[in-house]
Amino acid sequence: MHWLCLAIVIAAPLCGCSSVRPWEREELARPEMAWEPDPLEASLESHIHFSKEAALVGGGSGGGGCGCN
Amino acid sequence: MPCPSAARAAERRPRVRLGILVVAILLATVASPLAALEQGEAAPAFKAPGLSGGTVSLAEYRGKVVYLDFWASWCAPCAVALPALERLRQEFPADQFQVLAVNVDRQPELAKTFLRRRPVSYPSAFDPKGEIPVQFGVETMPTSFLIDRQGVVRHVHRGFREEDVPDLRERIQELVTSGR
Repeated sequence: MHWLCLAIVIAAPLCGCSSVRPWEREELARPEMAWEPDPLEASLESHIHFSKEAALVGGGSGGGGCGCN
Repeated sequence: MPCPSAARAAERRPRVRLGILVVAILLATVASPLAALEQGEAAPAFKAPGLSGGTVSLAEYRGKVVYLDFWASWCAPCAVALPALERLRQEFPADQFQVLAVNVDRQPELAKTFLRRRPVSYPSAFDPKGEIPVQFGVETMPTSFLIDRQGVVRHVHRGFREEDVPDLRERIQELVTSGR
C-alpha cells in the first residue's frame, strides 16, 4: 500500500508538467523573464565579478584583481 | 511450502507495475513528439482567418512557389525576417512566387502593432491556437517552408539571419526557373 502512496506522491506533481512548444513561448520571451534583463548591466557586473573575484565567469577568463582586463 | 524466491518475486511485481506507471505518466506529461515536416513531403493544406480580415488558404497559391513563414511579434529574429521576406517577394514576379505567413500570437493587436512598424504586403493567417504549426511540425521560431508549385516542401528554414537571404534567394530562383 505504501508503494501506491509513493507512486501517487511522485506522479501527482507531474500533472503540473507540460512542454512548451516553440510558438507558445510568448510569456517566456518577455524581457522580464530573462535571467539578465539588461545585457549592458549584466556585462558590466560580469566584468566586475571576474576582476574582483579572479574567478572564471560567463565567457571570460579569470582576472588578477586589478580590474584592468 | 512456497519457494521463498517465488514469493519475493510475487511481492515485487506490484512495485514494478507502479514503477512502470510512474515512468509512463512522466513520459506522457513531459514528452511531446512533433512530426517535423521535411523536404519532399507534401505541405498540409490549411485555411485560417487572415490577420487583416478574410481567409488565407495555402491551396489558393497552388501553381506558385510559396515561401511560408511562421512568425510572432515576440520572436526577435522575426523582426529581421519580415522586412527581408518583403524584399525577396518583390524580387520575383507575383504570378510565380508568393510569400505567405502564419502568425501565432495569442492577441491579434500585438501582431498588428508589429506589422505597423514593419509593414509587409503579403498575407498573414492568424492562428492563436497554434493548429497550423502542429501540422507542419514547427520546431523553432521562426520556421519557414519553401513549397514548390505542386505543394511539396523543398526547403525548411529554421531561424532567420540577414546572412541567410542570399541562400534563400538562390533556392527560390532555382524553383521559379525550374518550373517545379
